[in-house]
Amino acid sequence: MNAIEIRNLYKNFGQKQAVCGLNMTVPKGAIYGFIGENGSGKSTTEKMICGLIHPTSGTILINGKSHTDIDERSKMSSLIESPGCFPNCSVWNNLMLQATNLSITNKEDAVRKVLTLVRMEGAAGNKYKNCSLGMKQRIGIAMALLGDPELLILDEPINGLDVDGMRIMREILVDLALNHQKTIVISSHILGELEKIATHYGIIRQGKMIKEMTAEEFNAECRTYIALKSKDLEKTKFILKEKYNRVEEDEDGYLRIYDNVESSLIVEYLYNLNIIINEIKIDKVGLEEYYIDLMNEKKGR
Amino acid sequence: METNKYPKFNFKKRLVSMIKVDFRRMCTTPIYYIILGVALIVPILILVMTTLMVGTESVDHVTGEVTIMEPIFTNVWQIIASIPSTSSEMSLDLTTMCNIDMMFFAGAVFLCIFVSEDFKSGYAKNLFTIRSSKVDYIISKTLIGIVSGITILIAFFIGALIGGALASLSFELVGVSVINIIMCMLSKILLVAVFVPIFLVMSVIGKQKTWLSMILSFAASMLLFTMVSMISPLNATFMNVVLCLAGGIMFSVGIGSISNLVLKKTSLV
Repeated sequence: MNAIEIRNLYKNFGQKQAVCGLNMTVPKGAIYGFIGENGSGKSTTEKMICGLIHPTSGTILINGKSHTDIDERSKMSSLIESPGCFPNCSVWNNLMLQATNLSITNKEDAVRKVLTLVRMEGAAGNKYKNCSLGMKQRIGIAMALLGDPELLILDEPINGLDVDGMRIMREILVDLALNHQKTIVISSHILGELEKIATHYGIIRQGKMIKEMTAEEFNAECRTYIALKSKDLEKTKFILKEKYNRVEEDEDGYLRIYDNVESSLIVEYLYNLNIIINEIKIDKVGLEEYYIDLMNEKKGR
Repeated sequence: METNKYPKFNFKKRLVSMIKVDFRRMCTTPIYYIILGVALIVPILILVMTTLMVGTESVDHVTGEVTIMEPIFTNVWQIIASIPSTSSEMSLDLTTMCNIDMMFFAGAVFLCIFVSEDFKSGYAKNLFTIRSSKVDYIISKTLIGIVSGITILIAFFIGALIGGALASLSFELVGVSVINIIMCMLSKILLVAVFVPIFLVMSVIGKQKTWLSMILSFAASMLLFTMVSMISPLNATFMNVVLCLAGGIMFSVGIGSISNLVLKKTSLV
């Protein structure tokens, strides 16, 4: 059974169609990377899953039951846009309120545990309004983790986090999925980070799911390329373009050859033309590039 | 990670936890104490100021007519309510307007701010993600509204007693008994249950727009405002209490279900 199954989901805001026939399948225990441009319908979809807005039509199933089912919803948790804390209350009190809401028996312990988990135990006494953006995101995660939910819906949870914060978040999410069989739907524009943790991907554009795949499928679909650096990059590029079909220069100053060719042949070819290669490596197209390519492809149609 | 598991959510458990949270919030919200303070101070100010002004002269510069300020309140209980037999003459004077009935609007202010805070802070998102049913939310907020309304009325009553003592007004019971005053207060307390569901439905319509909730609440309660002095006069009897109780139950259930419908049918963010 899938944790989330969405079929033919539509959401209209007046004349504007925010979600348009969306199909989505999130298997249990997956970390589902939900990717899309701004305004593509990610947050709207997440809000519909959480029952915060009502679909115009279509079905949303959580563990095979309607998303309005009281028991299924009680096993969910979300962080959508902001953590949902009272600004004048302390971090501790905000979490205690949520723990009370969840009828957790040992509230103090539960709150302490989630605060430790997001490394915020030292800031428990701070007023929420005085916390930094990164701290607020961590509090939001802590709040979402209260009560040990089975399904977590996280909208841009790593926004505003520093490098260390992102690493901590990554560790937490992987631990939750791998060791505690939680299902996590996470939307983010920081695709590099998402690539490190996601087991499944869903790419949405203009309210439609344009691609859904597992991390394995993504890896298989991603092209490998040979990247090299030389002293005279322009001349090398010119020469390589004459022999190979697709040669591009990336932002890091590498020349990428996408043709299916042995690296030794390229080295030999350039050596014969008196071009010395400083560095050569075989690499794969990342999620970000894959996504951009996919978007360009769709726009081109 | 090991935290406590989500318990099986039955209605009672959900409701109790929601009420606990709301009461905890109410008791830690500064606006609640500010409104209570205002409810306490307003009758003191009204009674003391109006008494201080008694006997002062004002001259009309055109006609040269001299007006001597008459006492507005001659008795402390006038600020709580009026007796119907004299209410026709008093309908336009200050005593009808500046009495405990004003506090229903203070209740509206508190409830509108309290509910809109849920939506403004995003707390409602957390709440409704884990709670598909909205009935417990409505019941809990209605209870909060009623309790806050009652405490506001009590604060005003205490303020009236203090103000009366400070202004040396008469505490004499003219044409009424202590029982009547108790019944009058009880009627007004039960009438809170008529107004609160109205404020609540307007608050869930306005959601994070506090100003809209307040305007709608004030407008709707203005329609019922004149009824308050009629149904809970100073010489109220047990019948008035029963009527107010019936009205409170009817409004709480009827309008409460409308609030529930509004939450179910509209976007919660």
